[in-house]
Amino acid sequence: MQSAPFNYRRLFIWLGRIVIAAVFIFAGLAKLIRWDMHPRPPIGIATSLFALQIDSYQMLRPWAVLQLARWLPSAEIGVGLLLLIGWRLRIWSTLVTLIIGGFFVAVVRAYTLHLDINCGCFAKPEPLTGMTVLRDGSLFLLAVLMTVFAFQEARKPHPWSAPAPAQPS
Amino acid sequence: MNRRLIFLSSATILAIAATGTLAKIHLVNASRVSTVSSAPSSSGSSTVSSPEANIAAASTIPVTGPVAAAPPAQKSTANAASRPAKSASSSSAAQATITVDGVKDIDPEKAFGNKNAAVVMETFTDFQCPACKQLYTTTVQRVTDNYVDTNKVYIVHRDFPLPMHAYSRIAASYSRAAAHIGKCDVVEQALFQNQEKWEMNGDVKGTVAAALSAADMKKVQALVDSGALEPLIDRDKQIGQAIPVNQTPTTIIHTRDGQSYPVVGYVSYDVLKTLLDQLVK
Repeated sequence: MQSAPFNYRRLFIWLGRIVIAAVFIFAGLAKLIRWDMHPRPPIGIATSLFALQIDSYQMLRPWAVLQLARWLPSAEIGVGLLLLIGWRLRIWSTLVTLIIGGFFVAVVRAYTLHLDINCGCFAKPEPLTGMTVLRDGSLFLLAVLMTVFAFQEARKPHPWSAPAPAQPS
Repeated sequence: MNRRLIFLSSATILAIAATGTLAKIHLVNASRVSTVSSAPSSSGSSTVSSPEANIAAASTIPVTGPVAAAPPAQKSTANAASRPAKSASSSSAAQATITVDGVKDIDPEKAFGNKNAAVVMETFTDFQCPACKQLYTTTVQRVTDNYVDTNKVYIVHRDFPLPMHAYSRIAASYSRAAAHIGKCDVVEQALFQNQEKWEMNGDVKGTVAAALSAADMKKVQALVDSGALEPLIDRDKQIGQAIPVNQTPTTIIHTRDGQSYPVVGYVSYDVLKTLLDQLVK
């Protein structure tokens, strides 16, 4: 058995999987558990508080805000775990890229419109600043690279699974 | 080709991360020296930038104040006409603040609903802020109709005039004076609904006069001229700064178990309703 050769694309894929999965799982749990609050509110109230943060972006209608607030934290945790596991990586990395792309668009829009709102990214009240835009931009770039490289790597046979070279008889 | 792309990408990510760190350092340094930002916000909501502003637009706000003995119950209704007109007293009125569920220094003339309600909702607004107008004319009105009038929520209107708005302080003065003769809603509604007009020409007095009878306007003018109610506006502002409120509108929802939930900026009624419904259960 031979080990996989050093490969920048694989490095990016691993980095992206670990960083983005950690960020997603942390963000999802933070929205549901609200460990910044004492006493911690029940999940229903935490979800409503997250809905208020989404609503402050003034991008969606109330029913969409409520649905997004209900499902996004669980989806973030689920997708984060799937990225860590690495199963069907191309599908989940594409989905993650789309989600982060959506966040990035929302944040850039709010920043350019000078909406003085909280980011809502990690539930804890955090004013939306240029730093938030840069952070989300970096994550988005990382997600795009991870996805592109995941597709490129998938075209090649994995060195561990490649057939051994034929022995001369 | 691929290797070049990879190097370029890594360099870009590192550059962005480095820029982000530098920007953060810059923001922290800037926040140390800034006092009150005078930059208007095109979105409508308005911001006060202060050293505290970056810390917690709203983490959980501890409610530490003792629950005071409730003064005689106030009538709960959004209809100003149905409220008894109150005499325009001077400095004694300015001192008569109450505490409800640990929320201190409430001017009872600017607070509505049942003091024993499950939820106390504090709104910090500036009369010249467009997002405050939006919040007042849509969300607050509906909350008043559906929660305050049904004794589920006790709502406290706090004045938070921002220095960047030329006429918001005088508008707050007229509103406060009107509240002390029992005409709070009429004047608040007139000020918010005609915001675009009086912020152009500064005719706050004319806007208020158009909403009141001549006799009421005389009382209101006397109160404004005496300056007796100014300490109440200053007190509201101090309370906001202590929280810290760093933009308007900011709404803080207090529950009887001592929990406080800050809501920053405009929020639609339908979304706020889901939270209130859970809290008033």
